[in-house]
Amino acid sequence: MTAPALALKASKGGLRQRIRPLIPYLLLAPGILWLLVFFVVPAIQMFLMSVSSGSLDEGFKVTFSTRAYERALTRFGPQFSNSLLFAGLATAATFLIGFPVAYTIAFRGGRYKNFLLFLVIAPFFTSFLIRTISWKVLLGDEGPVLGPLKDAHLIPQAVSVTGTAFAVVAGITYNFLPFMVLPLYVALEKIDPKLIEAANDLYASRWQAFRRVTFPLALPGVFAGSILTFIPALGDFINAELLGNPKTQMIGNVIQSRFIEANDYPTAAALSFILMLGILFAVTVYGRALGTEQLTG
Amino acid sequence: MNEAKTGVEQRIGRRAFLKGSALAGFGAFLAACAGTSSQAPSAPASINVPTPPPASPSPSVAPSATPKPAPTGPLKWAQWPAYIDLVGKAADLLKYLPGSSPTLEAFKKQYNVDVDYEEKIQANETFLATIRPQLVAGAPTGWDMITVTDWLAAKLISKGWIEKIDQSNVPNCVANLRAPLKNQPWDPNQEYHYPWQSGMTGIGYNKATLTKNGKPEPKSLADLWALPPDKITFLNEKRDTFGLGLLKLGKSADPATTTLADLQAVHDDIKPMADKGLRFVGNEYLQDFAAKKTWAAMTWSGDLASYGTEDDHWIAPTEGVMIWTDNVLIPKGAANKYTAELMMNFCYDPTIAAKIANYVYYVSPVNGVNDAIKKLDPSAASNPLLFPPADVIARMHNWQFFSDEIEQQLNDLYLDLAGTG
Repeated sequence: MTAPALALKASKGGLRQRIRPLIPYLLLAPGILWLLVFFVVPAIQMFLMSVSSGSLDEGFKVTFSTRAYERALTRFGPQFSNSLLFAGLATAATFLIGFPVAYTIAFRGGRYKNFLLFLVIAPFFTSFLIRTISWKVLLGDEGPVLGPLKDAHLIPQAVSVTGTAFAVVAGITYNFLPFMVLPLYVALEKIDPKLIEAANDLYASRWQAFRRVTFPLALPGVFAGSILTFIPALGDFINAELLGNPKTQMIGNVIQSRFIEANDYPTAAALSFILMLGILFAVTVYGRALGTEQLTG
Repeated sequence: MNEAKTGVEQRIGRRAFLKGSALAGFGAFLAACAGTSSQAPSAPASINVPTPPPASPSPSVAPSATPKPAPTGPLKWAQWPAYIDLVGKAADLLKYLPGSSPTLEAFKKQYNVDVDYEEKIQANETFLATIRPQLVAGAPTGWDMITVTDWLAAKLISKGWIEKIDQSNVPNCVANLRAPLKNQPWDPNQEYHYPWQSGMTGIGYNKATLTKNGKPEPKSLADLWALPPDKITFLNEKRDTFGLGLLKLGKSADPATTTLADLQAVHDDIKPMADKGLRFVGNEYLQDFAAKKTWAAMTWSGDLASYGTEDDHWIAPTEGVMIWTDNVLIPKGAANKYTAELMMNFCYDPTIAAKIANYVYYVSPVNGVNDAIKKLDPSAASNPLLFPPADVIARMHNWQFFSDEIEQQLNDLYLDLAGTG
């Protein structure tokens, strides 16, 4: 072997060695860059806007005024409670509806598993907006659901479903159902049936086996599903906008109207920031309660 | 059905806005439809009408000597839903599809240029939010032509965000604009805008649903207010809802006399209804009517005539109606300005304008359209939406431009009613 070839080999090895410790960072780089550009920078901008004052026409200047936060925290109590209440109810409802569905698919689906999962997702090939608008038609006062009931005099003529808090919660529940079903399914699917057989062998009733074996093992799915449902539901405004009334407006509606109708950017930014911090806090507490390792399954 | 298709064929979902020159009597405008002309009064001092920026010295181009360039395209036009004549499937769907508008097809053929017509505007304010950042930054908005209501047109012009129209390219507009729509204080010489259509805001209702529920057909705003709040809707266009609110309370809807206390009174009158489920909507009211969700509502004059069923009616309430005009403008930095001017000019040909107006059922700003419509469709001559009768003209109100203080209060009170204040 000649000397130059040896040298080349050595330098190659050296380069590789020098790069090796950097590999994790290189692999992370796209993700970090993405977060930096699309999360960190906007978050900083949003914070600066939230402590600015001025008007859209004259321009906003950073003055470190806390007026926007005072306004955000004092004026919009009903909308904050609507958000928490509706998102909470919808999350509970998606869980109650989604768990039996996921359970059935995971344990009884057999060879139809993939088909059943497809059915869960199929409606979501249509746009979110279109699906929500269709609800207005389906649940309309003379629509295919209420119309026949009214014609048969089973319910009073004046009964309405749309334009109520019930419709908003139902809309959110429907729109976020797959985000609950899929993580639950993944968690349940992973459970080894032998564990349940073992519980039965140890004289557990079916209910006991479910409560002490199946459900605890499904907790990572419950955690992921409820986070995936609750957080976007908290900030949702489409359902309240299309299916609600002025009394059922959520914080997302306020943020939207502050930005677009009132041109009050500082308050809108402050509200967004408060919402973000609130979610961070809630997720941390929830994660602690269920165990953070559940986050990763 | 056939009759409905020809006479009242049209549709529209459009949400318009208020108009009116705050100042020029729209009534006078409509009276002018009858042939008499009138001149626009000037703005009372108490109203804050944005005015155009001082004329900047523009490079003077030798008139007429310069040969006209070939039109460039595609012409990007941001428009309200179905604010133009449609045929075929698009007319059934009540939605513009490429190739579905005879007027646009004729334009394309005549000038051999493509038109990208998009029904992108649901509300003035939300549309403004999509173009404002570019305008502020001095960048092109991507649109060559936009259609907005008077108050927004005035605002955009006053900011210097609109291109000056080369009048030599729009001879039809210069010749055919109806006199009462001229001389708007916010653009007295039509340097920046030409009107597209005008219309009224009054009460729409479904007769069958009301009868079924034992309610009489509304004749007045008071009748509308008396219906169950969760069965009616008002408009998310503040100028419509508060304007009609003033009339309902017996106050005058005159921008020069409206006070903060008046607005508060309207708010306090409507608030209990909002607490009982009254909703504020835009053009979506058409869907609510279709779903029989809404018994009656504040609506724009053309919509239900075309879009609704035989049971859907529109009336001018006894207390009065609001009136408005939407205008076409060319935003700063438009890539195909000359083509936009050609389009404005094209649509101001009375024959073309008649075809559009007789389809959309709003009032055309073009002189000579009345006769053309009557020729096109004799039954339209008695259509009160196209030719409002004298007693309706007498009850028309423009309520568009206010002082900053009133405008701020209007925003705050409206948002409180809508539940997001």
